[in-house]
Amino acid sequence: MKIAGPEALEREQIEAAQRDPRQFGVLYENNLRAVFSYVARRLPSRQEAEDVTAEVFHQALAGLQTFCWEGRPFVAWLLGIAAHLIAKRWQQIGRSTVVAEEIDVEGHGLDAERQAMYAQLVERLPEDQRRVIERRFVYQQSIREIAQELGRSEGAVKQLQFRALENLRNQVRRPS
Amino acid sequence: MNTVLAQQLDEQINALLAGAEYQPRTTDVRLRDLTQLAAELRFEVSAEFRDQLGAELQQQAARIWVEQLSHKAGFERGVSLWSEHEDFEPPQFKSLPAAPLDCTHLAVSFSLHVAVMAGVLTSGLWMVEHRDQMRGQIVSMLADSHYILAPTRSEAHGGGGGGDRDKVQASKGTAPRFAEEQLTPPTVIVRDEDPKLPADPTLVGSPEVLLPESSQAGDPLSKILSLSNGTGSGGGIGSGQSGGVGSGRGPGLGEGSGGGIGAGVFHVGGGVSAPRVLYEPEPEFSEEARKAKHQGIVVLAVVIAPDGRPRDLRVINSLGMGLDEKAVEAVRKWRFEPAHKDGRPVAVQVQIEVAFRLY
Repeated sequence: MKIAGPEALEREQIEAAQRDPRQFGVLYENNLRAVFSYVARRLPSRQEAEDVTAEVFHQALAGLQTFCWEGRPFVAWLLGIAAHLIAKRWQQIGRSTVVAEEIDVEGHGLDAERQAMYAQLVERLPEDQRRVIERRFVYQQSIREIAQELGRSEGAVKQLQFRALENLRNQVRRPS
Repeated sequence: MNTVLAQQLDEQINALLAGAEYQPRTTDVRLRDLTQLAAELRFEVSAEFRDQLGAELQQQAARIWVEQLSHKAGFERGVSLWSEHEDFEPPQFKSLPAAPLDCTHLAVSFSLHVAVMAGVLTSGLWMVEHRDQMRGQIVSMLADSHYILAPTRSEAHGGGGGGDRDKVQASKGTAPRFAEEQLTPPTVIVRDEDPKLPADPTLVGSPEVLLPESSQAGDPLSKILSLSNGTGSGGGIGSGQSGGVGSGRGPGLGEGSGGGIGAGVFHVGGGVSAPRVLYEPEPEFSEEARKAKHQGIVVLAVVIAPDGRPRDLRVINSLGMGLDEKAVEAVRKWRFEPAHKDGRPVAVQVQIEVAFRLY
């Protein structure tokens, strides 16, 4: 019997990766955005968010054989690992009180979808605007650094940033 | 009007990038919308991070797969030897009636045994043939050598390493300051809470060399977050020996021995082999260059790390019109078999020419 639907597909992907760990790449690609978005919203720096996200996937791959399908999406398991690592991180830097939180898988699924949509919209921006957005938000460069790199004035880069965000806002508002 | 708005927006973005929570601080709806959008864009994954982590997971998956194969091969070999042993007496299931002898079953059983034996032999051969590959993967994890040195023509002297025979690799953190002598080696997990002679942990090296500081001691190259002093021995942090930080020997930092900082970047030649390209996605033309029919060669100076990834990319010969960026973008995705010295993968600096031609 062939079961259709995203749940069944994900279950097949998990089972394939449990048989052959080299198949883990699909699960990684499908869930990276959701995990990073979840982690980055809870840690102070992008570098820390990348470190913890990397650790989540390394631990998930190492412990994949212990994963049991219970009808919940795979991302819930990953976010559970992430929550544990974030709590440890906060404790390491001296915050002894860590508030336990219920993981809202559906909410983070929506976050991931929204991030994916933004990524697509950024790709469609004119090249100079796209470069400014990527450098400013993904690589977190200052306006001065971007201006030097692109050979523009700081004022021009601020204008490009402004126009790019306006473009994106208009795209988001436009009905599909 | 737009200039003022662009300035105000940038101020809000600066606050967001400095770690501030998104809070609507303006009554201007347009500015509020744009700031909210900017707040969301902070959580976009960078392509470099996605590719790098993907490659790391690929390596980890390959290692796990090899382990699974070797366990399976060992198990199958055990089953096969057990059933072929002369004294082997099959368990008696007396409550079950004896099955009638069937030639088809006999043939199937014989074929299965042949298949299992063939599996054992081929997996054994596979393990022998891929021994170097497997060793390379493990070595590359331990031999990452990018502490803080600039490329040199010869190996940097010094280095150090440590650990306290933990099962887990050393955790990520910063190394302590350098001093002329070491009274206390650095540690992530303090084993002796009440030492007789309390002293600040140090590494042996020139005190003029300043290292980045943080409250969390550890190996700067590690990716492990759980606390561990590492798999090495003799105190200190890492996989090496004798009170330092990293994979070397002695009270210094990094590969090598005897204190100071070890493991610089090599040049090809003089016992250092050239790295070999394994994966080489082609660069794309920039729109500007395509329109202007601009072509030529971009030359990049690149460090190929012991894990086969390109790092520290610099443009030596620029073409402009966005082609430099395209060349860097493509080469960043390339993967190499690293250079070797004395049988170990090492970081080397090479020049890579990226040709842009329109036909």
